[in-house]
Amino acid sequence: MEEVNVIGFLCNWCSYAGADLAGVSRFQYPPNVRIIRVMCSGRVDPELILDTFLHGADGVFIGGCHFGDCHYLEGNYYAEKKIEMAKRLLKVAGVEPERLRLEWVSASEGGRFAAVMKEFTEEIKVLGPIKFDIERLEAVHIAAADYKLRILATKERELLEGGNKYGEVFTQHEMDRLLDDMVQEVYESKRILLKLKKPKSVKEIALDLNLKPNEVFRHILDLRRHELIEIHEIRDNRPVYIANTREDVE
Amino acid sequence: MQAAFDLAEAGIKVCLVERTLSVGGRMAQLDKTFPTNDCAICILAPKMMDCYRHENIEVLTFSEVIAIEGEIGTFKVKISKKPRFVDEAKCNGCGDCARVCPMGILNKFDMDLRVRSGAYVPFMQAVPLIYALDRAKCMRCGLCESVCGQDAIRYNQKEEIVEREVSAIIVAIGFDPFDPSGLTEYGYGKYDNVITALEFERLICAAGPTGGHVIRKDGREVKRIAWIQCVGARDTRDNRPYCSSVCCMYATKEAILTKEHYPEAETSILYTDLRCFGKGFQEYVNRAEDDYGVEYIRGKPGEIIEKENKNLEIFYSPSSDKVETLEVDMVVLSTALIPCGGVEKFAEILGTELDGYKFFKLKDPYNPTETTRAGIFVAGYCQAPRDIPECIAHGSAAASRAMEVVLGGSFL
Amino acid sequence: MTEALRIGVFICHCGTNIGGVVDVPAVAEYASTLKNVVHAECNLYTCSSDGLESIKSAILEYELNRVVVASCTPRTHEPLFRATCEEAGLNSYLFEFVNIRDQCSWVHMHEPELATEKAKDLVRMGVAKAALLEPLEELSSEVIPSAVVIGAGISGMTAALSIAKNGFYVHVIEKEREMGGLLRRLYKLYPTEELADLFLEQRIKAVAGHERVELHLAASIKAITGYVGQFKVVLDENGAEKSIDCGVIIVATGAKELDPEGLYEYDGERVITQLQLEEKLRRDDLNLDGLENVVMIQCAGARGEVVGYCSKICCMNAVKNAKLIKDANPDINVFIAHNELQAYGEEYELYYRAAKKAGVRFLRFPLETRPKVRKRDGKQVVDVFHDRMQMNIPLDADLVVLSVPLVQNPDAERLSKLLKVPLGQDRFFFEAHVKLRPVDFATDGIFLCGTAQGPKDIEESISQGYAAASRATIPLAKGYVLSAAITSWVDEAKCVGCGICESVCPYGAIEVVDTEEGRRARVTGVKCKGCGTCGSSCIKKAVTMHHFTDEQLIAQERAAFATEEVVS
Repeated sequence: MEEVNVIGFLCNWCSYAGADLAGVSRFQYPPNVRIIRVMCSGRVDPELILDTFLHGADGVFIGGCHFGDCHYLEGNYYAEKKIEMAKRLLKVAGVEPERLRLEWVSASEGGRFAAVMKEFTEEIKVLGPIKFDIERLEAVHIAAADYKLRILATKERELLEGGNKYGEVFTQHEMDRLLDDMVQEVYESKRILLKLKKPKSVKEIALDLNLKPNEVFRHILDLRRHELIEIHEIRDNRPVYIANTREDVE
Repeated sequence: MQAAFDLAEAGIKVCLVERTLSVGGRMAQLDKTFPTNDCAICILAPKMMDCYRHENIEVLTFSEVIAIEGEIGTFKVKISKKPRFVDEAKCNGCGDCARVCPMGILNKFDMDLRVRSGAYVPFMQAVPLIYALDRAKCMRCGLCESVCGQDAIRYNQKEEIVEREVSAIIVAIGFDPFDPSGLTEYGYGKYDNVITALEFERLICAAGPTGGHVIRKDGREVKRIAWIQCVGARDTRDNRPYCSSVCCMYATKEAILTKEHYPEAETSILYTDLRCFGKGFQEYVNRAEDDYGVEYIRGKPGEIIEKENKNLEIFYSPSSDKVETLEVDMVVLSTALIPCGGVEKFAEILGTELDGYKFFKLKDPYNPTETTRAGIFVAGYCQAPRDIPECIAHGSAAASRAMEVVLGGSFL
Repeated sequence: MTEALRIGVFICHCGTNIGGVVDVPAVAEYASTLKNVVHAECNLYTCSSDGLESIKSAILEYELNRVVVASCTPRTHEPLFRATCEEAGLNSYLFEFVNIRDQCSWVHMHEPELATEKAKDLVRMGVAKAALLEPLEELSSEVIPSAVVIGAGISGMTAALSIAKNGFYVHVIEKEREMGGLLRRLYKLYPTEELADLFLEQRIKAVAGHERVELHLAASIKAITGYVGQFKVVLDENGAEKSIDCGVIIVATGAKELDPEGLYEYDGERVITQLQLEEKLRRDDLNLDGLENVVMIQCAGARGEVVGYCSKICCMNAVKNAKLIKDANPDINVFIAHNELQAYGEEYELYYRAAKKAGVRFLRFPLETRPKVRKRDGKQVVDVFHDRMQMNIPLDADLVVLSVPLVQNPDAERLSKLLKVPLGQDRFFFEAHVKLRPVDFATDGIFLCGTAQGPKDIEESISQGYAAASRATIPLAKGYVLSAAITSWVDEAKCVGCGICESVCPYGAIEVVDTEEGRRARVTGVKCKGCGTCGSSCIKKAVTMHHFTDEQLIAQERAAFATEEVVS
């Protein structure tokens, strides 16, 4: 089996301490993981995770505190939802979501940390080095920065537990459907945006991405409204669009 | 530690004297704490480091107070620093000495359930992480000295007596678990599979001697466990009529942890009165019953008998005036928690009085940290049974009284 | 960054702990080839005094402006190396720690080549982050040397007096016209059976008479703003508006008895609560000669009936009142119908036995079958299902006393919003950590004590009062608070004021405020703990997490496997 690259983002108070304890107790595990310390698992941004996959990681591991133990009280609750969002994005980009793993490891679970590292490394070895279509993965990478998905990832917990402003509580099933739909929407939008690095018409994009022209057009209108694209020229009575490269527009 | 930390943070210099090799106390021996099921050492270790590293706190471990002179505002305290036989300034906690030492000694921290070497720290998260040689068992073979990269071994280290001048003293010496060997009806020490609650804690602890597996003497993992409450407590026979206050809750915790490790296991708690009075306690008990299936049986056992297969048969009398039996493969005795052995001698050194049960006597029942000697305050379990949050509040309370002495010049 | 980066890398052998597995010289050699690294060396023990000296002299000699140490773990040694940098004149936040022992040499002991490769990768990652580190300052914010204590019950008074004795000015705010709280309604205290009035009188005198205590009676709080060290409390005192500046606030607002309306035939006359019984005893209003049978019912409204929790003190309180009645007139039959009996701790068991000896009769009922009260011929009958005998025992009762739980005050909700502190599931105030911080709120500078935190007896309320005083004295005595340097910061040009950051911050450290440009989020550095949840939630990526910025984390992960860009 080929060697695989794994990155681990560990929270300072629990999982990083658990990893240290594994060392103190000399629990061995494969040397494939490179650990990066963050203060809280809540710091981990889906955009960061996807960037990591774009730059050589075959597997990404996030370690946080068990619910109730978070040093910052609730960061891990938010982390859980953000990482679920990242998994949805991986899936829609055609990357196995199992390459991203979230695990709660307390500061006293040295043995468990080592066991999880062993297990995860094995799993990634079986999946093999990551293969992805760079356009698709780049699309979800910029989708993760999109305000719609960021709002949903953060608000998911509140909507499931406390309910929305009307007092309506979402079930997990409803939430999953909503999120999957939104992810698909934003992903398509970003794929179109990437395609428009070169000037293209709606028909060309529809062919490229295997989407219906009216679906593409819906996204085009939205992208235009946010000034992310503009009309490049008119060709054969059809507008040709291009991504906006002005500095002040994200 | 809480008292020392509060004082230090307020700018007051503190000398923290700890009898064992590490700060942390009994909480370091626990796996999890009720009712939140927080990992004990995880939440404790940062506090241990904070204390040790604080610029205003001098931590003297493996040390004991041997004499006190003077009075409030001007105490002179003599402290005996027992020799570790290791140079504290040089040892960096690498553990090479422990790995080569040929001696195997039962580790008190693990309730004698695990062997440590003669060069040791009591547990891996000890603060300070400075090794010591067990002088009683040391063979002077010289192996530790030869591997120590820091040249820190000192076979001829002697006890050092130091003196400190302080305005106030806080006593927080904690408790010992009651030894139930004398209660022959329970068979502790006789039967293979009757253990105490603190021993159970070490078994179920992931960093403990069995890595979190609750194993009987014959190596089998448990399927049915029973906890027996009030062992040695609420007992007028031996002048221990008081209630240790935390045992009902720690038994509930241990039962929940057992169910988490072994969802199929049967867990029963045999109790007299269920002391579930604290914040979150009733809800915790409800969870244990409803979510985890822990069985609560009111009825104190009269007798435990060991069967041939080393299982235990418990004879108890529940509400219905009958005698029932319960067969289990392990019995955990929720032992009372009692004042430390040797506390009378220590109280003499301090010049403070103890009450009839050897808890530190308060000058006034509504001034919960003042002993009978002005300037000496008391915190924690050694004054009366209390749980961890109450001990921490009590520690801060003792600190506030000491602050009044130092900051306010208050000599009452 | 205007000046050129000059990074120094120090790789530690840690004796054989690292050196025995990882080829430390090779790692140092490799480090020296990395972009921006001008110096790399090995140390036997970087944390030893000569190791630290080595770092300091290298900073000076090579004019280093970033330092990377690759050794054990930051959790124990980061403060030490940071302090060392500071001593050599380098801002301590320009230091980065790489863990090649606990997370490398110790866990890959049998794979030295791979461990060495990993160590090189980790060092490369550390250098990549170090290149992007910025100097940070811990800001010091002054603490106004006075305290506000809300509530003049026993715990509030205890806290106030202790803080005053420590030399600080205390404002005590009490909503009633008199001090004392619930204790004012008590007759005698258990287990000493001393008179509550005398007990209270001494304490009120001590507090009210202290030169540094200022009382505000019949006062209600209108607004609270600020943060630790700089609070402003606006109150309405007896019709007049007053404003108090203080450094710390203590919440000691107490609790009240549950109103058993609709339970157990409660009528306030023949079926009363324990506090109502106490008041009758105080006023000598009980007609002890006329009473024949008194039945007390425990857990009335508690442990799953109205509230879920056990109110801790009702058992002993009932025992006390029962014993007092018996002592006054031994001919009265006094029964206590209970489920569990909470006679915990050192003295209560004995007091319970003393009550038994005095003739108080105890009947245990199962929680599923609570006693029922029936009215009959102007009196009551209490049906108690006897647990042990498994049968119903009807008890005649001239007087039924309900031991109801303590519940939170109705105005606590308003106060919790003014202070921005939480209430728990049981509606009592919710402390910072149930185990380790019983008298702190998560928000710095605000503390909690007494029954406002949960039901407790007088001794424990006093203990918590002292505890809160101790915790509150810390910032007062220090005179300043340091805001941690690892905090978040909002780029107001990017912020759109959506408020998502505010909704995820458990410390109230980031809030949307009015600015000249519109509504924008702003961070109060002193309150921020640096967790980063706001940063990962911000929809416009307007939040920077100092010392763990997006750029730094991205640089670290990109450096993990891609070698080309970062090698010079």
